[in-house]
Amino acid sequence: MNVYETIKVALSAIWAHKLRSFLTLLGMIIGVTAVVVIVALIQGFNAYVDEKIANIGAKSYSIYRFDFFKDFRDTDTLAAAQRRNPELTLEDYEYLRARLQLTEQLGARVAPTNSQVKRGTQTLDSVPVWGTTPNIVEIEKTDIADGRYFTEGENEVAARVCFIGADIAEKLFPYEPAVGGEIYIRGIPFRVVGVQARYGYVFGRPPVDSSITIPIRTYIRTFGPPVRNRWLYFIGKAVSDELFNDAVEEARAALRLRRGLRADEEDNFGIVTPDVIMGARDRIFGPIFIVAIAVPSIALVVGGIVIMNIMLVSVTERTKEIGIRKAVGARRRDILKQFLVEAVTLSAIGGAIGVLLAWLLSQIVSLYVFQTRLSLLAISIAIFVSGGIGVMAGIFPAWRAARLDPIESLRAD
Amino acid sequence: MLTAQVQEEIVPYGELLAQEAVPAALISMRDIWRTYQMGEEQVHALRGVSFDVQKGEYVAIIGPSGSGKSTLMNIIGCLDTPTRGRYWINGKLVSEMDDDELARIRNKEVGFVFQTFNLLPRATALHNVELPLIYAGVPAAERRERAKRALMAVDLADRMMHKPNELSGGQRQRVAIARALVNHPSILLADEPTGALDTATSREIMNLFERLHEEGNTIIIVTHEPDIAARAHRIISIRDGRIEKDERVK
Ligand SMILES: Nc1ncnc2c1ncn2[C@@H]1O[C@H](COP(=O)(O)OP(=O)(O)O)[C@@H](O)[C@H]1O
Ligand SMILES: [Mg+2]
Repeated sequence: MNVYETIKVALSAIWAHKLRSFLTLLGMIIGVTAVVVIVALIQGFNAYVDEKIANIGAKSYSIYRFDFFKDFRDTDTLAAAQRRNPELTLEDYEYLRARLQLTEQLGARVAPTNSQVKRGTQTLDSVPVWGTTPNIVEIEKTDIADGRYFTEGENEVAARVCFIGADIAEKLFPYEPAVGGEIYIRGIPFRVVGVQARYGYVFGRPPVDSSITIPIRTYIRTFGPPVRNRWLYFIGKAVSDELFNDAVEEARAALRLRRGLRADEEDNFGIVTPDVIMGARDRIFGPIFIVAIAVPSIALVVGGIVIMNIMLVSVTERTKEIGIRKAVGARRRDILKQFLVEAVTLSAIGGAIGVLLAWLLSQIVSLYVFQTRLSLLAISIAIFVSGGIGVMAGIFPAWRAARLDPIESLRAD
Repeated sequence: MLTAQVQEEIVPYGELLAQEAVPAALISMRDIWRTYQMGEEQVHALRGVSFDVQKGEYVAIIGPSGSGKSTLMNIIGCLDTPTRGRYWINGKLVSEMDDDELARIRNKEVGFVFQTFNLLPRATALHNVELPLIYAGVPAAERRERAKRALMAVDLADRMMHKPNELSGGQRQRVAIARALVNHPSILLADEPTGALDTATSREIMNLFERLHEEGNTIIIVTHEPDIAARAHRIISIRDGRIEKDERVK
């Protein structure tokens, strides 16, 4: 028998045993689809987060009162940090801004005060209102959909102007352009100077689209000085990417100097860089990914067990078949070849359907949620594992039966 | 004249025995034993059976149930291996062949018809008949042609695409006979081929065997029905694993 004919025989055997073939395929498809889809989701998600983090502002660093990763470990470390770390002040900001050579721009932002916002009959409750220095627009490369960011001049005079998120604009100005319009924040009228481009939802970032930003001086005049809940933090952009780490170190040294820290004392503030954020992402999502890998692995094993069971259940029937074939002249290797090709063909079909299904599912996710990435490695592993199980389970009983005298196989029933 | 001692020096003993005894018969059995181990107990299904079958003979093997008929047939058909003894087919010593050579013998030299047909249940009559030709390496087109002719020879031209469960017992047995004959074996073996069939169908099948014999086939058939045995030219009676009687009737 040539290869073509062997495959034809295998296909007809697969077709003849429809239920068994279907269940075997099902096992294979479950395993392969689960593994490939989930890996595609994870990889796509990772890429998506990386991209969003990169968007936060290429190479900017932030100075906070606390080191989030060290101080927020538990209530004790937090209490200690609260005693040790003074609040950041506008004086700190001016001090750093005047001295840092490697930082091209240093901006400041105050934590939001939730406020009622009105326009005409429209009322929005608990809208986070942030205060920032105008240079933030350059540091964070804020995308503007319409109008402009506020200016240094407007900040100087604490002008009542605001820059609003896409959702806010949509809700308060459903029928006309927001720019130039007037809204009331806590009853105080503000003029809208710009609308931010839609940002979307990102883990670990405040919901930008439904917040409002006003000049930092206006903020202080409206809500009060930047202390306690209205905590302050600084965002810096290095003169160049090459000097980024040096800029961070310069800022750290400058603030330590201002606070008179000795060499053996720890920083009493925290600096966050993109590297730190990515590290945190891996720390936070690492365990989730492990779970997400474990689930399809289980699916793969379950699929494998299904395949194995089906193959073994049919052993008696197939033992008799092997007896008949040997009785009319099949050699041991003819039997093995037949069963091997049959198992491989079945596994190949199952693997192909599994991959196709996985591709379809990830296309759907890509279309509606985020771009997924099919992994060749995941596909190979999935096919290799469940195909391997299928082939082993398929040919082991055949190998056993092929060694018997034909009369012994014929006795099976 | 060489003495036995000198002979031993010239030719190794086993080889000598083989050479000395190579018989001219189509089938030749010498002191065949078949012993089954049943736990502690040994069951001797065959206890030293010896006989020859010449080309063109029509032999019936009879005997009570459990006497060893099937065991003997399975050994003749190379489906089973004897525990002891020597067996030649066409002058070739089967009892010392390896697995592949035995497969070749089963494929080319013998056609076996079972009481329970032993057809592949999910394959058509045609495919069942093609099976021996597949393992003989016959190309597909020729295989198909020969299988069709074999089915026509057993009057099943109109049932080629039927599966066994769509055929009557007699038709199934005729498919099995076509399969046994398709590769032109030296000998046709049938172990109670009518055991699962009614009287009328049995007669049909026996007529078929008679015709096949007239066409020149060598046939050994196992039966415990005297009137079937009576149609053979030679009857071998077996009892308790031994040949009790071996007589020519025609
Ligand atoms: N596989 C086996 N294991 C143990 N004993 C067997 C086996 N096959 C046959 N026998 C025994 O060998 C004897 C001959 O059996 P068999 O050749 O089938 O008889 P027959 O075909 O004449 O009815 C019986 O006693 C039977 O029980
Ligand atoms: Mg019997």
